Amino acid sequence: MNRFLVATGALLLALSGAAHAASAVNLDSETRTLIVTEGGSKSELALSAGETVEFCPNGCFVTMPNGDREALTGTETVEISGGVARIK
Amino acid sequence: MISTAARRLALSLMLIVGALLTQAHAQDDIRSSSELIAGQQEVIASLTRKVDGLEKKIDQDSDDDATLVDDRLQLEQLSRDLLHSGVAFRPRLAEINDRLSQLGQPPAEGQPAESDLVTNERKTLLAEKAEINVVLGVAENLSIRINKLVDKITETRRALFQSVLTKRYEINYALASEVVEAFRGEMGDLYRAVSSWMRFVVSFKLKSMLAVTFFALAAAAVIIIGGRRMFGRLFIPDPRVEEPSYLSRISVAFWLTLMQTTAVVVFLGITYYLFDHFEVLRGDIGDMMASLFYVIAIVFFVSRLATAVLSPRLPKWRLIPVESRAARWLVVLIVATTFFTGLDYFLSNVYRVLGSPLAVTVGEALVSTVIIGLLVILIGLVKPFVDDDGQPKSWPRMLRYILFLLGGVTIAAALLGYVGLARFVSQQIVVTGAILATMYIGFLSSQAMNEEAAFAKTTVGRRLQRKFSLDDTTLDQLGLVTSIFINLMVLVVGIPLILFQWGFRPGDMTTWLYKVAGGFQIGSFTFSPSGILSGILVFAVVYFFTRWFQGWLDGTVMARGKVDAGVRNSIRLTVGYAGIALAALMAISAAGLDLSNLALVAGALSLGIGFGLQNVVSNFVSGLILLAERPFKVGDWIVAGQVSGTVKKISVRATEIETFQRQSVILPNSDLINNPVGNWTHRNKLGRIEIPIGVAYGSDAKRVHEVLLEIARSHPLVLKNPEPFVLFVAFAESSMNFEIRVFLSDVNNSGIVQNDLRFAILETFEREHIDIPFPQRNIRVVGDRPTVTWPADDEQAEAEYAAQEEARAKASEEAAAKAKSRRRKPDPG
Repeated sequence: MNRFLVATGALLLALSGAAHAASAVNLDSETRTLIVTEGGSKSELALSAGETVEFCPNGCFVTMPNGDREALTGTETVEISGGVARIK
Repeated sequence: MISTAARRLALSLMLIVGALLTQAHAQDDIRSSSELIAGQQEVIASLTRKVDGLEKKIDQDSDDDATLVDDRLQLEQLSRDLLHSGVAFRPRLAEINDRLSQLGQPPAEGQPAESDLVTNERKTLLAEKAEINVVLGVAENLSIRINKLVDKITETRRALFQSVLTKRYEINYALASEVVEAFRGEMGDLYRAVSSWMRFVVSFKLKSMLAVTFFALAAAAVIIIGGRRMFGRLFIPDPRVEEPSYLSRISVAFWLTLMQTTAVVVFLGITYYLFDHFEVLRGDIGDMMASLFYVIAIVFFVSRLATAVLSPRLPKWRLIPVESRAARWLVVLIVATTFFTGLDYFLSNVYRVLGSPLAVTVGEALVSTVIIGLLVILIGLVKPFVDDDGQPKSWPRMLRYILFLLGGVTIAAALLGYVGLARFVSQQIVVTGAILATMYIGFLSSQAMNEEAAFAKTTVGRRLQRKFSLDDTTLDQLGLVTSIFINLMVLVVGIPLILFQWGFRPGDMTTWLYKVAGGFQIGSFTFSPSGILSGILVFAVVYFFTRWFQGWLDGTVMARGKVDAGVRNSIRLTVGYAGIALAALMAISAAGLDLSNLALVAGALSLGIGFGLQNVVSNFVSGLILLAERPFKVGDWIVAGQVSGTVKKISVRATEIETFQRQSVILPNSDLINNPVGNWTHRNKLGRIEIPIGVAYGSDAKRVHEVLLEIARSHPLVLKNPEPFVLFVAFAESSMNFEIRVFLSDVNNSGIVQNDLRFAILETFEREHIDIPFPQRNIRVVGDRPTVTWPADDEQAEAEYAAQEEARAKASEEAAAKAKSRRRKPDPG
């Protein structure tokens, strides 16, 4: 029973830890738009100045404000500054 | 000398090699990049080919659910591969971007031109980036296509499911003979297939088959025997026990079912896996055997569960209070229902493998679903309970009607020709019913655990109590937590299982879960359960860490550093509050709440808070000042206004003082800061006590002084320096008043010292014949009521009355004086 409890605790921890997504931060003072291709459709993701958004939990393709394309697996952080995106 | 030279040589060699390597690396750069692009292009092209193939396949097997599921899994894998191939460009892209930003923007018109080298490099980099972007664009389009295909599969499967449920077969009596004939033929086919396989096994694979069976049996035996040895007491119902508690009944039912089913599943699983591994199975036999094993496992599980819950042999261990006769019937009916459902499932797989005519499938399914429907109605007809008069009583009305409805729907659907629907309903009755029953037991057990002192009676509870020496209340709370936990677990495991049965894919479920956990918006506020959960988790972790740190700092570092208790307490408290504040901040940011929003709210409310919480804030600040300034510390004897006592605890809002009557007084900190506070033990515990004493006129005052001084000096607790002092206070009306003033090193001992001194004074005065005067009062006791006569001598009576009055006045005056001269100092006793 004890071991069972420990195992379930670990499982819960893993679950709560596993629920993450890629996030994008806009460090610029103007709105930036990312084009996100996820699950069979393209959508625009507008980030107002200083905003942080979580998106793309299962991986996606993103077109950055300067036209660069990137593939994300869903764990990255995208930082936009000066219209250029950096992935961390 | 030689060694130095060798070291230098080695160093220069290393430098040269390093330089060469970097140069080679720079040259390789461009080549490797174009290789990268070409490589990934190839990967994407091969993925595209696979997707093309799958697209055709999907169109072909649009009527086979199992292959569609398989296709979908393959597509999802392709989508992941595609992403990985896209991610492969990331380091190169980052490099290009870095280099481009180093090179800077091309010079605008009018500015001095840059060198050709720079222009060329920028051009090359931009060209490369454009190429990568093109490749990524192709990948992106492919990913859209894959996802559209996945959607299409979902759509097809839904339509397929619908058509299976709504497809109607013509059923008439002419069909019957045809079905019987075809069924006979199919059974012959099955017999031939199995017997040819058996011949093959016996002649070629006998050894490995025997070994496999032996291994699988051994594994199952390990589980059964090992489980019995480890948890034996937990899951063997003991017929000798008079009244087993509900909790032990449930745990027996649970563990018994779990252990036996696990053993069987392990046996079947290992057998199948090893048969497959040693290639004992041929294609058709493998399919049939897999479905047979699946059916055996389900039937076994349901029958074990029914037996454990209804316990037809041991009425005391029954979980649902039904009659023994009814319990026997119910077990038989439930197992029969499961058996027929399993048989139907198995046979349908056999038909699929053998490619049997449709008539057989329809006819067999018709018979078995009608039987299942009848069995379900029979279960509803059982009268499992006994009413007050001892007459059999049926199920609760709701449950009975549901059972009738399910059975009726199955039979009606089958007879009307909707065999697919009938089959679906009958399978759901068994599988969903089994899951629901298990969940129900789980809920029951959590309810039983919830009852007071129930957890303490369980084996786990007893063991915990022994191990950690917990008290009953803690154990009870643990029981409560466990019951909540069991409830959660039942929901977390049960609901996905049921949804899974109803045709939802795990992928769908995780997507839902993610959507719920990821948060939903209410207005501009995003509410995210996972965020809140992680916030709570972070708070708990940080809080426990600070508590541990606090304990370590206090118990190890400061205790060994011989830090003053007051400082220790202050530091401990400060660390504690800082830790809570830190934990709260971290939790808030982990929960994803924006602190700037909070600041806005705080700003708007600060005026209101300023007025409303004025006292609280002032106490809070005072508490911080108390901690910093430390006018008193825990354990000090302080006098604040009317309150005198020992400081027990200094918190941020209030300070707890225990008076000598053991009354706890909670003083707001602002009172302690704004009003004078006396502290008897501030820097040291030195204190003075006074003992007033009067001696009769006529005693030798000098001798009295000497004696008193002697007494004071001879007491061991009285300090020699400052030395004791005897003061000749006053010539009072009826006594000469003296006062002994002595200093004690610990003022808390004043009670003992006063007692000792007073006893000593009394003894010595008696020995020395020194009198202590006290006001005397003559009381005349009046006997029989005297006859009231006119006083013979008026004057004498008047004089007597005056004397009496005078004596009374004097006595009261003296009493007042005595009360006044009593020590003003609070009494520590």
